[in-house]
Amino acid sequence: MAAEVVAAITDIELMKASQIGMKALGAGLAVGLTGIGTGIAEMAIGSAAVGATAENKDIFGLALLFTVIPETIVIFGLVVGLLLLFV
Amino acid sequence: MLKPEQMSRLLIVASKDQMAPVISELYSHHVFHIEDFVEAGAKGYEGFKIGTPLSGASEASGDLVKIRAIQNAFSISSEDFEAKERHNQSALQGLIERELPAIEKEVEDLTQKRSKLDTKVKEFEQKVAEIAPFVGIPGDLDLYRGYSRFVVFAGFVDREPSISVPHEMFFAKGKAKNFMVVIVPSDQRNIVEGVLQEAGYQAVPVPEESGVPQERITFYTSQIALIKKEIEEINRKLDAIKEKHAEFLVACEEILKVRVEKTEAPLRFATTNQTFVADGWVPSGSVEKIRQALVNATGGKIFVTVLPTDPEHDSVPVEYDNPSFAKPTQMLMDVYSRPKYTELDPTLTLSIVFPLFFGLILGDVGYGLILLAMCLVLRKYLKGDEGAQLLIVLRNASISSIIFGLLFGEFLGFALPWRPVIFSRHLNIGEHAAGHGPNIPELLMLSIWLGLLHITLGRVLGMINHSRQDHGDHRIKAVMANFGWLAVMWGLLIVIWSIAALPLMPDLTSLPKLVMNFNSASIAGALVLVIGVIFIARDSALEVVELPTIISHVLSYTRIVAVGLSSVAIAMVVNFMAINMLIEPQLGNITITGVLLIILGVFVFVIGQTLNLALGILGSGLHSIRLNYVEFFTKFYKGGGTKYSPFGLRRRFTED
Repeated sequence: MAAEVVAAITDIELMKASQIGMKALGAGLAVGLTGIGTGIAEMAIGSAAVGATAENKDIFGLALLFTVIPETIVIFGLVVGLLLLFV
Repeated sequence: MLKPEQMSRLLIVASKDQMAPVISELYSHHVFHIEDFVEAGAKGYEGFKIGTPLSGASEASGDLVKIRAIQNAFSISSEDFEAKERHNQSALQGLIERELPAIEKEVEDLTQKRSKLDTKVKEFEQKVAEIAPFVGIPGDLDLYRGYSRFVVFAGFVDREPSISVPHEMFFAKGKAKNFMVVIVPSDQRNIVEGVLQEAGYQAVPVPEESGVPQERITFYTSQIALIKKEIEEINRKLDAIKEKHAEFLVACEEILKVRVEKTEAPLRFATTNQTFVADGWVPSGSVEKIRQALVNATGGKIFVTVLPTDPEHDSVPVEYDNPSFAKPTQMLMDVYSRPKYTELDPTLTLSIVFPLFFGLILGDVGYGLILLAMCLVLRKYLKGDEGAQLLIVLRNASISSIIFGLLFGEFLGFALPWRPVIFSRHLNIGEHAAGHGPNIPELLMLSIWLGLLHITLGRVLGMINHSRQDHGDHRIKAVMANFGWLAVMWGLLIVIWSIAALPLMPDLTSLPKLVMNFNSASIAGALVLVIGVIFIARDSALEVVELPTIISHVLSYTRIVAVGLSSVAIAMVVNFMAINMLIEPQLGNITITGVLLIILGVFVFVIGQTLNLALGILGSGLHSIRLNYVEFFTKFYKGGGTKYSPFGLRRRFTED
């Protein structure tokens, strides 16, 4: 009897631990994959922005701004990660 | 405040002989924004022609070109030149005529001489490079030429070739390439060429020189050194001229610029045979003053009147009108776009919200202090208006980060010795591993509240803008549509409140259920939402597609927490690695390895914190300005106004 209870408790503890692990994995995937997405989006914008700035230095501010617009994606990923880990 | 400066359209008519005094008077007041006249047969301007420059225009612009050429040669720019004393204009006038040609000639002679010497140096360096491979081969350079029965092959080979015919070969093994000279009888030429090709032969031309290679190289290098000394001498002379005349040159440039602008002003006026018409804008407050000044300057022989303006069709120039603390933020507005004359000017809101968001994101006393110090130091070195304005904006932002740093209780990622006054951002890293962790849900809700309020403000400003700019039926619809967007956002929010209990938000879940598990609040919220959608669709049905942006724009404000926390995390990890892992364990028992590890720890700390500071400033600045540009401005702001640039110049180096 006692042995079964101990086994059940260990099972529950294991399950809890694996849940924490799954959460961490999920958070990692959320940040990593959205990071890749942002990277791909910023790749095209960034090269265009550098080209445009080379032509006309005045638009540097605007070009920098355009470049960070896709960062929203990774920030959503980061928020999801935070929610998974802390909430 | 929230509105650009009010402008009046001024029409000035006088006979042509009054042109010079009128231009001079307008120039000195520095308020008249000239509307350039275009010969397009506009109504009321039939038969008018563009004016011709006043006398002396071409001489002045000729002199200006000369001065700018000299300034270019010296790389002097009036912008990074501190004005020490103001020169008298008439005294300088004489100097320009007497001294300028002499200075110009001197500078031109010296620069020409310098470029000649530069070419010579290049030529000699080329020769040295040509001779260099032959250094390893014994014998004069004469010996490679002038044979009738022999051929000379000189060049680089991959490996030593084995030639079967009678020959004489010199082989010099090199690091990357081997150099070789082979002399063979002319009739064996084809065979040898074949062998050499297999050895990877690349021909090198024999230099047209005589004597021992090493000696020739020594000769040329000594020549180069001599010429370089001469160039240095010229540079020294040029520097001396620069030192002596720099201030004179920038002052001259200013005078000539003034003269050119004045004499060429008629090109912007409409003229007939006898009269001229100047059309332009002045701030409404200065109209009387400028009218009086013009009447005095011409002895009353002038007609000045204020024309009725149509702010929507006239391109009224826009000048900001903000309280002084908001003025530096105008620079951030100009990066986006200057407001239209009829539009609300959001500089004031930007000047409050930008530092607030910046502080919330960076929120660290240490980083705030470093940024503040950087701003104060850089102010001494950065010249120009825009740079100074940016530094003031950053200074305000850094003060805001210090305040929020005190509230969050953070110093370079370490905890300050009190509990965070607002929510904690300390992560469970290192010494905080046992702490209760950051208040993530509360922080997220706080940032969402900021987003909701910011967007609501944007929509309210949008309603005001539409009610001021639009007409008739469209005006009501556009205002209602903006209201509709607000209704959808808040209706959705009420529905969420009635379904789920969230921290820092009203909890409406406990209201009595009415129909199908929905309580009164969710029904009211849904109703508001539907009314909102109808209002939006009435203005433009296509806009309904954009409805999801309500959610994404509000959620976008969570970046305030996300970016801030990531910077806290990096700082804490750096501190943990540097102090807890590298430095602290060594302090108890100091050994040589321990000292090395402590040095490594300090290195990790400095590099990590510097990187995080750079990331923090860039991230906080870009994300808080982005929230304003993308999430806030798109609700009401279009921009695209003409910049107000009054005729005249703020003199820095000269006076009348």
